[in-house]
Amino acid sequence: MPLAIGIVLGLAGCGLQVPADPNGTLERVSDGTLRAGASPDRSLIEVRGDEVSGAEADVVEAFASSLDARVEWTVGSEEQLVTGLEEGDLDLVVGGITDETPWIDRAGVTRGFADMPGADGRNVVMLVPLGENRFLSTLETFLDEELG
Amino acid sequence: MSRFGRTDLPDEQATDLRKAVKIEVFTICYTTVTILVVALVLGNSQAMKTAWVEDILSLTPQVAFLVALVFVRRKPTRNFPYGLHRAMSVGHLVAGVALFVVGATLAYEAISGFLSGDHPTIGTIVLFGSSVWLGWVMVAVMALIAIGPPFYGRYKLKLAKPLHNKLLYADADMATADWHTNAASIVGVLGIGVGLWWLDSAAALFISVGIVWDGVRNTRTAILGLIDKRATTYDEKAVHPLIAEAATMLRGLPWVADAAVRMRDLGQVFHVEAYVVPVDPRTPVSAYESAARAIAALDWKVQDTDVIPVSVLPPEADPGFGREAGRGSRAGASGAGPAAASERGSDASAGATSDRLKGER
Repeated sequence: MPLAIGIVLGLAGCGLQVPADPNGTLERVSDGTLRAGASPDRSLIEVRGDEVSGAEADVVEAFASSLDARVEWTVGSEEQLVTGLEEGDLDLVVGGITDETPWIDRAGVTRGFADMPGADGRNVVMLVPLGENRFLSTLETFLDEELG
Repeated sequence: MSRFGRTDLPDEQATDLRKAVKIEVFTICYTTVTILVVALVLGNSQAMKTAWVEDILSLTPQVAFLVALVFVRRKPTRNFPYGLHRAMSVGHLVAGVALFVVGATLAYEAISGFLSGDHPTIGTIVLFGSSVWLGWVMVAVMALIAIGPPFYGRYKLKLAKPLHNKLLYADADMATADWHTNAASIVGVLGIGVGLWWLDSAAALFISVGIVWDGVRNTRTAILGLIDKRATTYDEKAVHPLIAEAATMLRGLPWVADAAVRMRDLGQVFHVEAYVVPVDPRTPVSAYESAARAIAALDWKVQDTDVIPVSVLPPEADPGFGREAGRGSRAGASGAGPAAASERGSDASAGATSDRLKGER
């Protein structure tokens, strides 16, 4: 057992980043495209035609530009978007989702951010693909700095 | 505190029992703190969840011990003529079954999580103003709380022997092996960290198999006791040497032609039925009574002794020698030769405490 810990720590020491993305989401998004899903919300996400705007959309745009990525929006219902996350078609889902979300078993959920402009006291979270822990941690760290 | 049923405990056992109660209470407090701390950092790791549930389950032997002790100490009554010693075995059985059922459930969760390819998600927390990956906190917590159990486990192991308490022994045994759980959960979390998501399921399976195994062993020990298996040592490794000692001592009495005993473990004390074939069928009752007192004087655990005159020994009663009884035990090697035994027997009175009573052989 100590051997196993040693091997894992050794792997971590040899340039492997901890935490890592098993499916490499962060690496693919950086300098590329952030495929974001949006579900309309009265104060956070506004959808007009193909245009997605609103306070939470601005935060996603800012996150993308921190990774030198551009955002490609998909609009749909929450279930459609979560299925998109599961099937690897989306990297991020937003839309006034709170930390009470029932999608916890089908998506990675960020911490709640009550300081999101327009959150109206809700603890707003974003959804990412399950187990993409480097991407999730990078997003949370960004949100801490942006909204904290 | 200083008695088990009808048995007044010798000083050593009374002291050890007080120590055992203290360490069990301490363990419950320690484990409660670890359960609360781990709950704060649980996250989505199946290995962490499994280790956490194991922590909760590890409280059952201690609670069972303390609850059973209340009953075990009561004197026998008309209603409960053998005392309430079995309360300890019942507690042991409950703990064993709980471990088995929950362990099996956790093993199932680990396997189904692996088969459905669940990628465990662990994000960050804000610690002292900066975002830290929660996995590092999990590793630190699991490493820190692994320190306690080996120490109190070894301490309990030392108490289980003189008290002849199998529940305490099982509890101690699990505590000394507890670091396996912590190490496995650390491997699982670090596996998630480097992107090997399946290591989490593997670690969870390893931990839950350990819980199932503990459950099987404890259930088995408790059931063997409850269906009156011949008394064994506290660790189940050998036939209890008191069987051979009692039989040998009886055969050493001048009026006894042959003797054999049935000895069952009621929990921490034994119930002894000693069958003797007298040389002369007119042997007075007082001889049987003094033989019973002589057996009681052998050890604090054998105060509940009946000496029964028979013309032929029942085949299932253990004569305390030969292949059946001698395997692994130190029958006859403890200095209780027939002559010495009968000498001691003649002036021994029930409950007498001599040096030979101290400690379990």
